Amino acid sequence: MDSIDLQGVTKTYRMGVGRARVREMMPWPADQALQRLFPTWWWRDTFNALEEVSLSIPSGSAVGMVGHNGAGKTTLLKVLAGVTAPTSGTFAVQGRIAALIDALVGFHPDLTGRENVFLLASMHGVSRRRIAPRVDDILEFAEIREMADTQVKRYSAGMSARLGFGVITALEPEILLVDEVLAVGDAAFQRKCISWLDEYRSSGGTLLFVSHNLALVRHMTKRVIWLDHGKVVADGATDSTLAEYARAMERRESTNLTRSRRDVRKELAASSAERWGAGGARVEEVHIEERPGEGVEIAISFSTEDPAHEDVVCCVGFVDESGREIGAAASPPLVFTEGGGFVRCSIDPLPFRSGIYFPIVAIMSSDGLIRDRWRVDRAVVVNGQATTLSDFGPVDIRAAWSGERAKESENGDGHG
Amino acid sequence: MIRRVWGYRDLLVSLARRNYQLRYRQSFAGFFWAILPPVASVAVATFVFDKVAKIDTGPVPYPLFAFAALAPWTFFTNSLTQATGTVVTAQSTMSRLAFPRAVLPLAMCATVLTDLAIACATFAAYAYLSGAGLPLTALLFPVLLLVEVVLTVGLVLLVSALNVFVRDVRLAVPFGVQALLFVTPVMYPLSSVPESLVPWVRVNPMTGLVESFRLVLIEGRVPNLQLLAPALIGAAAAIVIGSWYFSATEQRFVDVV
Repeated sequence: MDSIDLQGVTKTYRMGVGRARVREMMPWPADQALQRLFPTWWWRDTFNALEEVSLSIPSGSAVGMVGHNGAGKTTLLKVLAGVTAPTSGTFAVQGRIAALIDALVGFHPDLTGRENVFLLASMHGVSRRRIAPRVDDILEFAEIREMADTQVKRYSAGMSARLGFGVITALEPEILLVDEVLAVGDAAFQRKCISWLDEYRSSGGTLLFVSHNLALVRHMTKRVIWLDHGKVVADGATDSTLAEYARAMERRESTNLTRSRRDVRKELAASSAERWGAGGARVEEVHIEERPGEGVEIAISFSTEDPAHEDVVCCVGFVDESGREIGAAASPPLVFTEGGGFVRCSIDPLPFRSGIYFPIVAIMSSDGLIRDRWRVDRAVVVNGQATTLSDFGPVDIRAAWSGERAKESENGDGHG
Repeated sequence: MIRRVWGYRDLLVSLARRNYQLRYRQSFAGFFWAILPPVASVAVATFVFDKVAKIDTGPVPYPLFAFAALAPWTFFTNSLTQATGTVVTAQSTMSRLAFPRAVLPLAMCATVLTDLAIACATFAAYAYLSGAGLPLTALLFPVLLLVEVVLTVGLVLLVSALNVFVRDVRLAVPFGVQALLFVTPVMYPLSSVPESLVPWVRVNPMTGLVESFRLVLIEGRVPNLQLLAPALIGAAAAIVIGSWYFSATEQRFVDVV
């Protein structure tokens, strides 16, 4: 069964501001008549945010959506959420739907966090009675217990974003539309949201996930829809679609001179496919395999320009969601055949606490000059148990302890 | 439309409650502001029309005379002036959530209705304290109020929807209701209107309502159908046209505001 089904959906917006909207104010059937009689006048100054979009999403599947700014992603979500009606075409949504269009979710600044929870729930059509028993859970999830009775206008952006997500978790949606909400909030909360979304997916929820963070899209989904100028450009398996999308973004950078290079850089950085280095050697291919026991095996092939010149050292490091460098492992000086080589790195187990980590593969000369450093567009997810040390940073230090052991009953965590 | 709004009745209550909470939040006198405006306007009206202009209201004390009409009248005008802009103001909420838009102006009407309840309690207290008491016909008050609410809600739906497309509405409404106050027998009795103008004054649906409120609350008489006919017809027309236009255009609100 399909949760979402769109047939030829077009959404037309009118440009320009300031004047009274005579065309829009015409009720049916006057609008149809005017449209037919004066088509040029009626369609003047319009553009299509969505053009003939047809797609269906089976229930229980997770689908990603990518596209540059203005591609129509948010408009599509708004149509599905019932916020705005399509200009033409039909769509059907089967099941309870909830949408996080953006981090601001429609809170009222003068109401307290707690009052906003009730208000927001009722805007989703969930009654006071049904949400009341869950309010504490929501505040707990959003980590704003102490601020619950403070007006939302005094909240930080991160706090309202957390509260917005918290309310969604309590609505028990069957279809969830998420638009770039994980961009706000700190790394710890993002991790919490991601693991909630993981649980949501595995319990059979349908997810449509919009993000510029391609690593996250890859983690969340098996299928990706690529929108461009309101049209579906590609719709297929996550890996191939994202690869195609990333290539197109690079092409855009080299051809589109009207756009500032910094903007494009930013987008590329957000796609986490950063790469830099002094040159002379190059990482050609990286294959990452996650093993069930929390370990990873990374296979790297690389090339060098001048085989006889110097030894190279291969390096595998990790950064977290916020781009902070966490740690790295370096290979011994490597032997290579003509023009390149192949090396396999096994880290088992990964010495990290629960979270998402992005591997970096680098080729360096033995004196430490970075020849090529590549932030691989692929996330490694560690799902360890929560420990009492979760506030102590991402590295899980394995230590041997000696001393008198506490009695069984007092033995709390036992970790370490 | 009624069924959709009914499904979101919790939201309606939440919004009405929010309006109330917000009105008195961070204010000093707080809830006192709910009682002050009707009392103050009656006091001012008494000064102007009773003491200065010396309008003849028969045996009825002027404050009671004014209060009985001014309270329902205030519901009518405040609903219109305060609810007209609610759809436009809720732009950011509308662009993210898909609730029935009619909840927005209706919640404001509900808030204003609560004000009326407080004013009525004040009126009842005053009537008993002044020794006049309330006649048995006061039991008809809810029926008259229902007619007034239907009329008001119909107009509010129409006006708040039109305001989304043509913002002149928001500017014209306060002016309109103010003008209407002077041609409706709120501060003066219908009997003091010159004979030749009475038919014109009577066409106004609010005339029949205001006069009827006074009949049932003070004089203990049941209003006849002839007096109320314009109000009944007006209410029916307003609710049909208002809800039709609102539901015909509400899907476009978010794209236009």
